[in-house]
Amino acid sequence: MPVHQGRSMFLVVVGLFCCLLFSTSSQAIPAFSRQYGTSCSTCHVDFPKLNDFGKAFKDAGFKFPKDDETFIKIPPVMLGAPAQAELWPHTIFPGTIPGLPPIGLRFNTFFQVVSANRNNFNLQHPGDPTMQPFIPRTDFQPGLFSIFMAGNMGSDIAFWVDDDISVGGANSNGGLGDGYLKFVNLGRFLKLPTDALSFRVGQFELDLPFSQARSWNLSGWDIYDEANIGVLNGLSPQQNVNNGFAFSSAAQGVEFSGGHQYRGYHYSLAIVNQNTGGTPGSGTNVPPIVGFVSDSNFKDLYGRFSYRFNLERDPASRNEIQAAGASGPRDHTYLVLGTYYFYGRSVQRFSGAESNGTTPTVISAREPFYRVGGDFSFNYRTFNLFGLYMAGHDQNLLPFTPSGGTLPTGFIGARAATFSGGFLEADYLALPWVMAIMRWDVVKSTADQINAIGADINAPPPSSFFSPFSATRNRFTPGIQFLVHANIKTSFEYQIRPQQIVYDPSTGKALTSPFRTNSAVAGLEFVY
Amino acid sequence: MKRNVLVSIVAMAAITVAANAGTISGKVSGVAGESVVYVEAVAGKTFPAPTQEPVMDQKGLMFQPHILAVQQGTTVQFLNSDSVAHNVFWISVGGNKKLGHNLGTWPKGDKRPFKFDSPGAVPLLCNVHPEMSGYVVVSPTPYFATTDKSGDYKIENVPDGSYTVTAWHEGAKNQSKPVTVSGDTKADFTLSK
Repeated sequence: MPVHQGRSMFLVVVGLFCCLLFSTSSQAIPAFSRQYGTSCSTCHVDFPKLNDFGKAFKDAGFKFPKDDETFIKIPPVMLGAPAQAELWPHTIFPGTIPGLPPIGLRFNTFFQVVSANRNNFNLQHPGDPTMQPFIPRTDFQPGLFSIFMAGNMGSDIAFWVDDDISVGGANSNGGLGDGYLKFVNLGRFLKLPTDALSFRVGQFELDLPFSQARSWNLSGWDIYDEANIGVLNGLSPQQNVNNGFAFSSAAQGVEFSGGHQYRGYHYSLAIVNQNTGGTPGSGTNVPPIVGFVSDSNFKDLYGRFSYRFNLERDPASRNEIQAAGASGPRDHTYLVLGTYYFYGRSVQRFSGAESNGTTPTVISAREPFYRVGGDFSFNYRTFNLFGLYMAGHDQNLLPFTPSGGTLPTGFIGARAATFSGGFLEADYLALPWVMAIMRWDVVKSTADQINAIGADINAPPPSSFFSPFSATRNRFTPGIQFLVHANIKTSFEYQIRPQQIVYDPSTGKALTSPFRTNSAVAGLEFVY
Repeated sequence: MKRNVLVSIVAMAAITVAANAGTISGKVSGVAGESVVYVEAVAGKTFPAPTQEPVMDQKGLMFQPHILAVQQGTTVQFLNSDSVAHNVFWISVGGNKKLGHNLGTWPKGDKRPFKFDSPGAVPLLCNVHPEMSGYVVVSPTPYFATTDKSGDYKIENVPDGSYTVTAWHEGAKNQSKPVTVSGDTKADFTLSK
């Protein structure tokens, strides 16, 4: 191991132990723990990763799946006696709210060490301090402080709101994460099987196979952050795709879902806002009460279906929420197979001209796109192997300018902008408080190529900072996480990043050999 | 005729024992909540195992009762009244980790028996609900009592004689003291954590 890498490891280890040393004892527990008088580990393997019971709790609308009232230690406040239900519709239908404000708080902070080659791109602009972003070797980073509330209001109506009060330091604006109401088991009114139909409305993370918003990893899965953004840069092929949509984006809309995450089938179908440009607005003649999030009349569609095979030999245990192990209940041995599909339209607007070539107008390209893929998750005892594949495809309409004209008057078709990739991750719970992680993230993108990432060494375009050398970006990320208490966690991961290379933008000659800018991150997180 | 004689003999024996039996009563202080006070093993004396099988329930994510005092040799029935899965295990009996045991998992409404042959406190745990805590306190003799919440206790029908009496409380150090029983006898304890 080179000397500088050894030093990095030493710093990280020191940082990690500092985190352990200075983390104070905490008896405080979040909302559900307070309400039910139980530990975080009732629902979580390594928070926020859910165990089988946690999945069932979530499916049931943040309730114990059976006999919920017998477990609640703090009685809910009645918003109408249950007998009032008999009088409906001549009275307000009775409901409840949690006896304590169901508030949880979450804070995290990080310490990062980056490879010594992190400033290699400064070679492109020797002597120009304005073009040389200095990346420190080590850095303490405030993460986020967020508030989250969740619970059930009786009548199987669940709610969730989480908001990042601050992100990246004091007084930095955060934003709403998820905020929704979920009407659980609506199918009972249609005499459908239990939990066959639920309905969710608000802002929420799509029903992803593996949640990015509530990921237990320090860094998110790359494919979930993959937008499809090309440039018109004179190279061939051209891309006019400017689709900012990524799976990690929160969506606004409605969702129908059913089934269970802990056994059998599960499906969801969501109709959500389209906003691929990231520029919501409000016209001057529209009351600006809340503005508009959509940038199109079209609504995007997302669908997911999965089936989980519980593989316990004992048929009685197979259908229970948790398997009955010889030494106690545990998560099932299971295999989940799933698929998902997202369909939307990416809207691009340009200053153009009408067909006469002179009268100014706005021309709009509505470019259909889809994301499709599959996923699996296999669990055996305390070992969980899971992965996801995604293919992205955006129609690519290029602005067309007639010969002799100066403004585009329409669009012509071009090669689609595509990407593909996914991740594979193995989690091993070595001890109830120690989880070892190995990840592989991969993204292969035509936008990367067209944006000059991975270009021919003999004809290089200007290369952006931290751009990978190859259009296929691989990242390997071993990590380990420790629960200091059920609600305090220290995490460590080492990100082995893709190869990069630095070119001289004027001569096109390589200034460096291919290199990797790896980083090590230690995090401390607690909820209370 | 034979039967009448037998009944008379048993009755006389019982009266004799009663005449020589006393009580040990007192207060356990220094700690809050229930404690268990029991007479330690008496050299050369054995006691038949009780036939009653008390129940330790798991209900509402709690062991109920929180503390169950039993005589050595008692079979305790462990019941799961919850609609969630539990298990019951303990890592030691009276501090002896070799006696740790795991009863496994069983569904709602079912019971699982276990006979406690060794004396001492048995800290009960559930491996999926780590906040759950309960105790079976196994007394080596049939002379034991659980205090009320104010710490008062009374052990009845203790034959006159000299004994070692021990007070146990969750999380506190046991305290033992010699007690000579002659009729009603007082024995107070002050425990500390």
